[in-house]
Amino acid sequence: MRTRNLSMLLASLFVIAGAIAVGARAAGEVPAPPAIGATIEDFTLPDVDNKDHSLKSLAGKNGTVLIFISVQCPVSNAYNERMEKLAQDYKAKGINVIGINANVSEDAAAVKAHAAEHNLTFTILKDPGNKIADRLGAAVTPEAYFLDPNNKLLYHGRIDNARNAAQVETNDLRNALDAALAAKAVEKSEAKAFGCTIKRA
Amino acid sequence: MRFTKAIIPITFCVLLVSLAAPAQKRKGPAPKSDKPGAVVSPIDTDALKGLLTQQRQRPLLVNFWATFCDPCRDEFPDLVKINKDYGSQSLEFFTVSLDDMSDIKTEVPKFLDSMKATMPAYLLDANDPEPAINLVDRRWRGDLPATFLYNEKGEVVYKHIGRVNIAELREAIDKVVKKGSS
Repeated sequence: MRTRNLSMLLASLFVIAGAIAVGARAAGEVPAPPAIGATIEDFTLPDVDNKDHSLKSLAGKNGTVLIFISVQCPVSNAYNERMEKLAQDYKAKGINVIGINANVSEDAAAVKAHAAEHNLTFTILKDPGNKIADRLGAAVTPEAYFLDPNNKLLYHGRIDNARNAAQVETNDLRNALDAALAAKAVEKSEAKAFGCTIKRA
Repeated sequence: MRFTKAIIPITFCVLLVSLAAPAQKRKGPAPKSDKPGAVVSPIDTDALKGLLTQQRQRPLLVNFWATFCDPCRDEFPDLVKINKDYGSQSLEFFTVSLDDMSDIKTEVPKFLDSMKATMPAYLLDANDPEPAINLVDRRWRGDLPATFLYNEKGEVVYKHIGRVNIAELREAIDKVVKKGSS
């Protein structure tokens, strides 16, 4: 009887250990992003001067674009001009662009210097501990999220199809913004973002 | 007369170039070449599909990576060792870089050379990487590195997104290699 109990205990321990191992592996993966149509809760993050901003305070009256960006990633850097142009083009239309740097390897000073060097004028927030990257399931840089005025997610994914600006054929993010501004449904609400893995804490 | 004098050397040069060009085109990825210098071949989505779905005698390991991806660079020595340990007799192995096409003769072979990597190396030649990513796995979001192991039937028997756990990968390879040889 005692042997049987011991066997059951050992079997249970194996099951528990297995479950912990599986859980630990899952924890190392990037969380799933919110579904299109989900509402993104307000959050507060510091900018490169350590001044806190809420999403609500930075949101545009017609929507907000969040883009996870990087200082060192060549793919993200290939989009610097396009991101700045996007911010300029849509600011006048009531859509604000916000950059978020969630890379643990890039501190606020580096982000500030990079923005100055590349003339990025939109607000860039630091995401210490990648809490917002986790909440949004952001995996790479650049990766974009477009929220409507009520913070409902309308589009998630890449900015466009090509790292090389000369080869752009599909402006997925701009198409989503234009559709929303025209009060139309976003035709393609998801497109796989391609870039450098976010360096998580 | 002056025209004739000029046209002879030009024709000779054109002839030389045209003779040399086909020899360059014949160069493909050389998995076991002892010659220095990695050769990286462009591959489009259709050709990648062909490579992944063709009938094979051995399991196939495919690693998607890029020079700008730190975890890709970190795991590469382990992958090179796997290639050497298993050999092409028991395991097919090729890598697909998602670097920019402009890096095909510079950064990508430079890195492969530094790793002493001899497995066939490709670079995805596609303006839009999404169809290729979906072709490999619709649930893969395109983040790198990504490693897929196929059995002889072309079924994915192991996949890992992010830096691979080398012991786990070896265990998965051992299972299919063993099955294949039995």
